[in-house]
Amino acid sequence: MSSNQLKQPFQYKKIPLDFKRSQKEKRAKNTAGTIRRLSTYLATEKWKLLLVILMVIVSSSLGLLGPYLVGMAIDDFIVAKQAAGLGLLIIWLVIIYALHSLSIFLQNFWMIGIAQNTVYTLRKQLFEQFHQLPIAFFDKRQQGELMSRVTNDIDNINNTLNQSVIQIFASIITLIGTISVMLWLSPLLTLITITIIPLLFLAMRWITKRTGPLYKIQQNDLGELNGYVEEIVSGQHIVKTFSQEERVIREFEKRNRQLKLSGFWAQTIAGYIPKVMNSLNFLSFALIAFFGGILAIKGYITVGVIVIFTEYARQFTRPLNELSNQFNILLSAVAGAERVFSVLDEKREESDEENASKLDQVKGYFQFKDVSFSYEDTPVLKNIQLEVQPGDTVAFVGHTGAGKTTLINLISRFYNYEEGKILLDNQELRNIKRSSLRSHMAFVLQDTFLFSTTVRENIRYGKLDATDEDVELAAKRANAHHFIERLPNGYDTRLDQEGGSLSQGEKQLLAIARAMIREPSILILDEATSNIDTITELKIQEGLKRLMKNRTSFIIAHRLNTIQQADRIVLLENGRIIEIGNHEKLMNLRGNYYRLYSDINNKEV
Amino acid sequence: MKTILSFLKPYKLPIIIAYSLTFIELIADLLFPIFLGIMINEGVLKNNLENLIMWGSMMLGITIFTFACGIINSYFSSHVSISFAYDIREKLFAKIQDFTFEKLNLYPTSTLVTRFTNDVRQIQNTIFMALRIMVRAPLLVIGSVIMALIVNVKISLIFLIIVPLLIAFLYWVLIKGSNMFNKVQESVDYVNRVIQENIAGMRIIKAFFRRDFENVRFKESNEQLAKETKNTFRFVEASMPILLFVMNISLIFILWFGNKQTIAGTTNVGDVVAIVNYALRTVMAISMFTFIALAFSRAKASAERLEKILTEETTANTSNHNNQKVIQGKIQFQEVSFNYPTESVSVLENISFSLRPGERLAVIGATGSGKTTLFQLIPKLYEAQKGTIFIDDYPLSAYHVDELRKSIGYVSQIPLLFTGTIADNIKFGKENASQEEVIKAAKDAQIHETIENFPKKYATIVGQRGVNLSGGQKQRISIARALIRKPKILMLDDSTSALDSTTEAYLLESLRKYDCSILMITQKISTAKKADRILLMDEGKILAIGTHNELLNISDLYQKIVDSQFEKEFPYVQ
Repeated sequence: MSSNQLKQPFQYKKIPLDFKRSQKEKRAKNTAGTIRRLSTYLATEKWKLLLVILMVIVSSSLGLLGPYLVGMAIDDFIVAKQAAGLGLLIIWLVIIYALHSLSIFLQNFWMIGIAQNTVYTLRKQLFEQFHQLPIAFFDKRQQGELMSRVTNDIDNINNTLNQSVIQIFASIITLIGTISVMLWLSPLLTLITITIIPLLFLAMRWITKRTGPLYKIQQNDLGELNGYVEEIVSGQHIVKTFSQEERVIREFEKRNRQLKLSGFWAQTIAGYIPKVMNSLNFLSFALIAFFGGILAIKGYITVGVIVIFTEYARQFTRPLNELSNQFNILLSAVAGAERVFSVLDEKREESDEENASKLDQVKGYFQFKDVSFSYEDTPVLKNIQLEVQPGDTVAFVGHTGAGKTTLINLISRFYNYEEGKILLDNQELRNIKRSSLRSHMAFVLQDTFLFSTTVRENIRYGKLDATDEDVELAAKRANAHHFIERLPNGYDTRLDQEGGSLSQGEKQLLAIARAMIREPSILILDEATSNIDTITELKIQEGLKRLMKNRTSFIIAHRLNTIQQADRIVLLENGRIIEIGNHEKLMNLRGNYYRLYSDINNKEV
Repeated sequence: MKTILSFLKPYKLPIIIAYSLTFIELIADLLFPIFLGIMINEGVLKNNLENLIMWGSMMLGITIFTFACGIINSYFSSHVSISFAYDIREKLFAKIQDFTFEKLNLYPTSTLVTRFTNDVRQIQNTIFMALRIMVRAPLLVIGSVIMALIVNVKISLIFLIIVPLLIAFLYWVLIKGSNMFNKVQESVDYVNRVIQENIAGMRIIKAFFRRDFENVRFKESNEQLAKETKNTFRFVEASMPILLFVMNISLIFILWFGNKQTIAGTTNVGDVVAIVNYALRTVMAISMFTFIALAFSRAKASAERLEKILTEETTANTSNHNNQKVIQGKIQFQEVSFNYPTESVSVLENISFSLRPGERLAVIGATGSGKTTLFQLIPKLYEAQKGTIFIDDYPLSAYHVDELRKSIGYVSQIPLLFTGTIADNIKFGKENASQEEVIKAAKDAQIHETIENFPKKYATIVGQRGVNLSGGQKQRISIARALIRKPKILMLDDSTSALDSTTEAYLLESLRKYDCSILMITQKISTAKKADRILLMDEGKILAIGTHNELLNISDLYQKIVDSQFEKEFPYVQ
């Protein structure tokens, strides 16, 4: 609360900064690499970039030539009180200024094109990369954090590229041009003007040494705040029912204050730069006026030269100013680019084997041969042996962590099995293209994700070329038709984010319809029946039974009747299969399954 | 804009200070050409070295002074803009916490997050600039014009014609630009929404191998965005070369006219030099104008978007006259009907029933029969259009919302945990709860042992950034979160669906220790049977209410459900 009441700017707590060398060097190395990489994006439109640079050269030189001619005009025509010849000079000036404006226009026009194409490509690559990353990547990360890559970081790059490239080139060219002309006019006065450079250098080093780390802290604080907002907004119903609004506001304030502090110092210190520049401008103006005046009195230079010099001195500090300004902006963009690139560099899902084949027809005969799998060094599945006949229904049963979900992840190749083999129709899973494999599969997953589009399109997602009739048929078979008809716009009802006003059961019905329409050979159900009322569920079971007929199905099942009807029950414990067989067989076995089964029966009676 | 600008009010003094400091710098900027003119006229042309020394040291002194002003300015401007951003974010967050559910549904999470980051930052940066540099440019132009006029009216007249024209032109660019930026931002929002949806639904997208489909969908919106951004930036940035050209032409005019004047002897050389200098300064300042126009039009667009949220109406949840407390937990529905504001189909029709203090009522019914909606009316997440709900014989309106919700333990259908430790999540129900209370709630929710088996026990991080818990574990933690409140009314929205029946039985048993009425939605007859009475709903209406045996007699549907259920859940599933 206290910082909320800060009345004046000298009460902010200092942030201790770490100037350690090694860190800085490492960062600098990274920065250089990132800039190089970013520039390869710009270089894809080489000729355009060259044109931009050409235009920058033109505009910068003309920008130098203009004031020079003005100075000449003063000396030759105004101080000398001459009129003849001024007309010609003026025509030249008009042409120069016209070309100057034109070249600025063109360089902006082209550069914006290049910059936006770059940002477009980055967004596209990021998006495509998301689709190439293994599921484990998303399991580990917060959505808000990933989103901030797409929003803040890309936005940062966007803002920088539009201007920075031009500014940097223009600054360098102007700098070189100005100094040469100044030297030519008066080496002595140039020397005097240049004395401000060491001052400038020292000031800049002092400032950037601080702003660099500060920007990083600020960016982290911002990410933190982002993540919190995202989480609280999506969990708003919990906050409300527990009437914890005040508390989350307080928690938010903590993060907000953090950001305020780092933001204050980053902005204040970065704000020194233009002020330093401005003062150095004044200083050089004063020096030129004074020493120039003396030189003029002694007759070494003319009054016109003083005018030109004051103008050039400005033109000469300005690019320096720009360079350092751009340097700061560039740094924050580079930090953003670094984060974007780090996502782009994430290890992709292993791509298909080179000789991976496509499957035209799938019978659904599965063999697991000694399959083992570890997740982050913890063994999850151990020596799984299993044979599944085409058309069979396999129910996986076991505690959380027993490995049911992992098995399903291996079958659908979200994860890659490490040891052993999984064969489908006698062909190893690894040798089948993922796209081909999954085109024969349909999924109904635990969290039924729906897209913010119409009900119809959500069902069609299972089979993109399905006709409206197909969609309705699938919905009917999944028993979703009845409730869809009751929606305000029937099949054309738009669902808002994540299903909005639909109940859990309804969402699951849609997910089932989405799987139905696919007509898969292999069906994968993950606890899909847990939230649907009994009557609806019974109908679904009917539908599923129809669907499962002649299709190999893997189910993580809840309900006893599902399990009882399965051809195979696989009882998992700690990543091992401990019992396997159909209901009767397992009952006769009088093992774990039997004990569990009798347990409930005793209790129910 | 008004609302946003009102956030600047508390910072009047620092703003005034910042502006005064900027003004001092500006004056120095304007004085220097005059000094130069004097130095040329009095010093150089008259060979007067002392004059040069005097004016030279004067300039040096001013330089040091303005430097100090500039640095102090940085502190004040930064203070204003950062505090401003902080205040807006705080207000924004509090505002969102005030939103009703209906309001909240209007804004997807992703757009709210961009409001907090991009939009606020945009305005913050603009204000910072405005306090330091931006005013300089316009003031420099105005100041230069005035000074030039003072030096020589005739030559400077051209300024009076050109400058207003340029200002009008810039204004037009600004207005048009901000509209264009508004559109760009909408496209950005849309693109971000598509990406967010893809991240959230990645599992399904991968499962159906829809990468290409999604890529095509994204490509269109991404292309659209790139195109709009290009056009907008090109439009705004085209204004600079135009402005520059016009100003340069006026400079040429001054040269030509000044030449005539000096020949005629009506003006001296120093004056022309000074005016040319002012003209050059104006040119320089003008080149900053595009930048300003760009920043302002973006800031304006952002401000409008923020304002839309800040000015959303939030229903005043306060009826303070009657501050009842829930003591018994008696509930009575009297002819309650409800439909969601955006939909015409009514979700609840004429619901009447009552619940004695401490009674357990199971609510069963088909998908979409209105069970969850019925639940959400009790803590006033939504308000019924017709009928009245009484708690302890007082209508809901007699309770302050906070007071009401304090006495309710609500466990929603989807167990959502926040990033933090398990203990933090349980304590979310009661902030100052002791460790003993946390453990007791966890024990009663049948999750204590599971937690003890985690390496870090209660300090295990869960939520979006934490470990993956199973559905059943999440459900039990969210039940513990409700229990720690010692609620008078406990509402379980199908919150035991992922538990095996043994655990569920223990859980329901341990709830008996709590002195509260319990409402529980369930799909399972075996669970429902453990309640005192069962409420059967269908298509928004109550079909029957009574004990298990009563319902078997009076309701065919209930009979059917019982028959269909084997009443057995496999115990090995969590």
